[in-house]
Amino acid sequence: MEYDENGVSIVPADLKKEIFEEARKDFRYEEYVRGCLNCGVCTGGCPPHRFFDFSPRIVLQKMKSKDPELIWTMMDEYVWACFQCFTCAMICPFLNSPGGVIAILREIAVRRGFESAKKVLKPYSRVLLKLTAYGNQLSPDMIQPDFFPDWGPHIGYASTDLAVKRKAIPMPTLQVTNLAWDVAPETMKELYDIFDEAGVFKIIEAVDPSLYEIIQDIVDDVRSS
Amino acid sequence: MSENILVIGGGPAGLNAAVMLSELGVNVALVERDSFLGGNPKKFKYKFLFPDMQPADNVIGELIKKAESGGNIKVYYSSEVSDFKENGKKFDAVIKSASGSETKTFDSVIVATGFEHFDPARDAKYSYQLFDDVIDIKDLERMMGENNFVRPSNGKPPKKVAFILCVGSRDRHVGNQYCSRVCCTVSVKQAIEMREHFPDCEAYIFYMDIRTYGFFEDLYWKAMEEHDVQIVKGRIAEITSGPDNTVVCKGEDTLLRGPFEIPFDMVVLASGMEGGPQSPEISSKLGIELDEHGFLKPENVTLSPFKSNKPGVFLAGACTGPKAISDSITEGAAAAMNAYTYAVKNR
Repeated sequence: MEYDENGVSIVPADLKKEIFEEARKDFRYEEYVRGCLNCGVCTGGCPPHRFFDFSPRIVLQKMKSKDPELIWTMMDEYVWACFQCFTCAMICPFLNSPGGVIAILREIAVRRGFESAKKVLKPYSRVLLKLTAYGNQLSPDMIQPDFFPDWGPHIGYASTDLAVKRKAIPMPTLQVTNLAWDVAPETMKELYDIFDEAGVFKIIEAVDPSLYEIIQDIVDDVRSS
Repeated sequence: MSENILVIGGGPAGLNAAVMLSELGVNVALVERDSFLGGNPKKFKYKFLFPDMQPADNVIGELIKKAESGGNIKVYYSSEVSDFKENGKKFDAVIKSASGSETKTFDSVIVATGFEHFDPARDAKYSYQLFDDVIDIKDLERMMGENNFVRPSNGKPPKKVAFILCVGSRDRHVGNQYCSRVCCTVSVKQAIEMREHFPDCEAYIFYMDIRTYGFFEDLYWKAMEEHDVQIVKGRIAEITSGPDNTVVCKGEDTLLRGPFEIPFDMVVLASGMEGGPQSPEISSKLGIELDEHGFLKPENVTLSPFKSNKPGVFLAGACTGPKAISDSITEGAAAAMNAYTYAVKNR
């Protein structure tokens, strides 16, 4: 991928137009994008705005500009700076939802397997695997210092001797460390059907083909059991 | 025999209508819900009026004096129209007051029930009533009127004051999509007054748009050029408490600073105007239409803004939407003329 002097990836103008049209056709677009008088309430109340060059007001303004060039400038890194807390949508006097616009754009980036989406989702591959294959979001063996620095200084201790610590929990557990709870095969099969219908597997295939293969092997096993 | 006309509401519009009708020899019944005349300007002790900073008393006091001394006006204080019926082309109304109920027949009616100030406590982001030093324009007007301009939290004069525009206006969250028209000019006027009387106190105005329409623009320029009022483009997202007993305005300066958190000694909210509970009440009692903003609806907003949809019932002042005192007084006169014409035609 090549980038221009502003750090925006260089792609054909047709693709930019396509992305814009795809966003506009989204069923939520009309609800999320209304009038905007640049009052700045959304950005004033935006938590990531404190840390990054990210402004929900700019998101909405660029969307309202209907200029595919401007909208494309958000597709590389900009859309991923949002926390998706929807404070902007809560406080906008016009009832716009810049956070909702971000969600639409992110989904496009994921569906199309854009580089930025792949990069951002990479650290989540373990979660995706657990969730889609086993119906668990987080299991004890996922607690590792490298992945959860935000859990504080005791994460190192917490990630050792998992099997013993698991046994010490004074309530019924599976006594295993690779699952948080047991999901019945019937439930798993229903879950796979839902993921199929909702296009979840397709999305994973687009952003992480190797992960997709691992998941599909597990899915096939469960389905044929 | 002279005409009988009912005027409901004794604010600027109703007062002027009553005074003009009285001068025409009409018998006017002026029904006022409060125990005094003058409406909101009197109730909240407005001190100086824009654009020329003349004492409010020159205007409101003058109208009250005329109404009270006009021989043809009977003022019903602390009273209301409790029942209202059409009687051919005339109207039978029951006026209820402390001294009892009186039924009278009127040739025509003028509704001048006015507005209510938006209660800023309804929009939690401004922390009104949470922090003592967050007040609104009517509170400041009263403080100035009583020569008591100090921080409510500690009784000391403030050194830095913020004015926040569009509070309760142009905001779908509070249900008011409209602009209240006068709050920009009132805030600019108050900032000038403050800077004149307390030159040590800095003034900031946070705006989305400054709507000092027409000649009111003079005040806006004056505030900037002669009184060094800081005018910042950005609506406030949140008001929190800060160190040293300050209140912090948080928002985005969309032109210059980007995100900001600025501590102030005092914050003045430019709360807008609402139709109030009296508008739907009078609408159902008199059988006249209410609009989607909660104000009374004129028959034709451009051709006859002073007529209701019911022949013989006329509208004046802020009951049909936010407006300046001068506009209300003008509409009082227009409604008086129309109510008189209707009464004479159907005599």
